[in-house]
Amino acid sequence: MSKVSENFAKFCEKHPRLYACAVLAENAFKKPVFRCQDCGQCILSYTAFTCPMRCPKQMRNGPCGGTREDGRCEVYPERHCIWWLIYRRAKRMGRLKKLRRIQKPVDRRLQHTSAWLNVFAGKIDPPSWGKD
Amino acid sequence: MKSGSNLERLLRAGHFAVCGEMSPPQSADSSSIAKKCGYFKGYVDAVNLTDNQTAIVRMSSVMSSYYVLQCGVEPIMQMTCRDRNRLAIQSDILGACSAGIKNILCLTGDHMKFGNHPEAKPVFDLDAVQLIQMVKKMRDEKQFLSGDEIKQEPKVFIGGAANPFGEPFEMRVLNLAKKIDAGADFIQTQPVFDLARFQKWMDAVREEGLDKEVFILAGVMPVRSAKALHYMKESVPGMRISDDYIKRMEAITDKEAAMEEGVKIAVEIISEVRQMPGVAGVHIMPVMWESITPRIVEQAGLLPRPELPADEPAVTGLER
Repeated sequence: MSKVSENFAKFCEKHPRLYACAVLAENAFKKPVFRCQDCGQCILSYTAFTCPMRCPKQMRNGPCGGTREDGRCEVYPERHCIWWLIYRRAKRMGRLKKLRRIQKPVDRRLQHTSAWLNVFAGKIDPPSWGKD
Repeated sequence: MKSGSNLERLLRAGHFAVCGEMSPPQSADSSSIAKKCGYFKGYVDAVNLTDNQTAIVRMSSVMSSYYVLQCGVEPIMQMTCRDRNRLAIQSDILGACSAGIKNILCLTGDHMKFGNHPEAKPVFDLDAVQLIQMVKKMRDEKQFLSGDEIKQEPKVFIGGAANPFGEPFEMRVLNLAKKIDAGADFIQTQPVFDLARFQKWMDAVREEGLDKEVFILAGVMPVRSAKALHYMKESVPGMRISDDYIKRMEAITDKEAAMEEGVKIAVEIISEVRQMPGVAGVHIMPVMWESITPRIVEQAGLLPRPELPADEPAVTGLER
C-alpha cells in the first residue's frame, strides 16, 4: 500500500474514536452484505466474496470432509456448506484459481479490528480484485 | 528420506502399503492397546491412532502412539485442530517425536456436535492445510510457526486426509492439491464404498499429476451388518455408499454370514483399488472391529508384509 494510506491507517489507530467510526462504517457494509464475522483479515476477494469464517470449523482453505450430497453443512444441516457456496460462486465469477492459494493461519490479535485499515497499514495481504 | 519411518521407506521403495487403525481406550488403562497390537504386528506397516475421533473423549493419541511403538508396531499419530491451538499442537508434536513417533496424520477434526461433549469450545485455531504447513515448517525449516528456531527438528512423515466422496467434487481435487502444496507426503482417503466415484476422483487426480507428488492410500472399512451401511449412508455426511453393497449385506440375515460378507466386500474393494494406477496403498479402518484386520490383509493377498532394513535407501526414483 502507498505511504499515504499507511499514514492514514496510523492516524486512525492513534485516534480511538476515529478508529471506532472506521470499524462502524466497515461493519455497516460488511455485516449485512457478507455476514462478516469480524476476523479483521479479510480474504473475501479470494473466496468469491463469501465469508469462510461462517463455517463452524472456520475453514479458510477449503471444505472439511463432511459436506452433504445436497451441499448442506454437516454441523448445521439447515445451512449450506460455505465452501459449497464458495465453489459455486467462484466458478460462476471466474475466480476458481484464487481458491488454490493457501491462506495463512488467522492472527487472532486482529479480531474486531478494521480489515480495511489493516490492509492500509500493511498488516495483512492486500485483496486480489481481478478475475483469474 | 524425510522421516525414515517404516511407512515412508516402504512407499518410497515402491511397495503397496497397508495401514491399520485403532481407537485408543476410553479409560486410563492401556492394556487393551497391547492386546490390539497383536492384530497389527506383522499384518500392517503402520497403524493410525485416532485423536478423539467423532469428538468422543479417549486416551490421547500421543500417549497411545507411544504404547503402540513400545509394542513394536509403527504408529501414525492423528493430530486434529479441534482441541488444541497452535501452541499445544507444536508441543505435542515435539513430545511425540522425542518418543520416536515418525508419522503424523494432520486433520481438522470432527465437530464437537457429534461427540459426547457438544457444549465444549471448538478450537479450530488452524485448519488441516495450515497444520500440514506448520509441521512441514517445523521439519524442513527447523522453525516453529512463530519463526523461532528449533534445535532438533521433528522428523516426521506428514499425512493428510482426502474425501473423494464429498461435495463439490471438483473442490475435492483442488483441496488435495492444496494439501500437497502445503507439504503432505501421504494421503489417506475416506472409506471407499463407491468404486465408480473413487475411480472418477483418481482419474482427476492423475490428470493433474498429483499421484506423482504424494502417496495415496485408499480407505477400506469392513462392516459387520447392513445396518452399519445404512447408518453411514444416512447419518454420516460426506459418505457415499453404493447400493450394491447394501443389497448384498441385506440379503444375508445370519449374523456370522453377514460378517463374512463384510470381509468379502472389503477384500474386493482392496483388489479393485490396488489395480488403479496412482494408489500407493490401503488404509484398513474397521471401527471397533480391529480383530478382523489380519484376516482381511491375508485374504487380500498382502502377506507377508515386506521388511526393509533400517538404512536401506529408496530403490526407485520416485520423488515424492
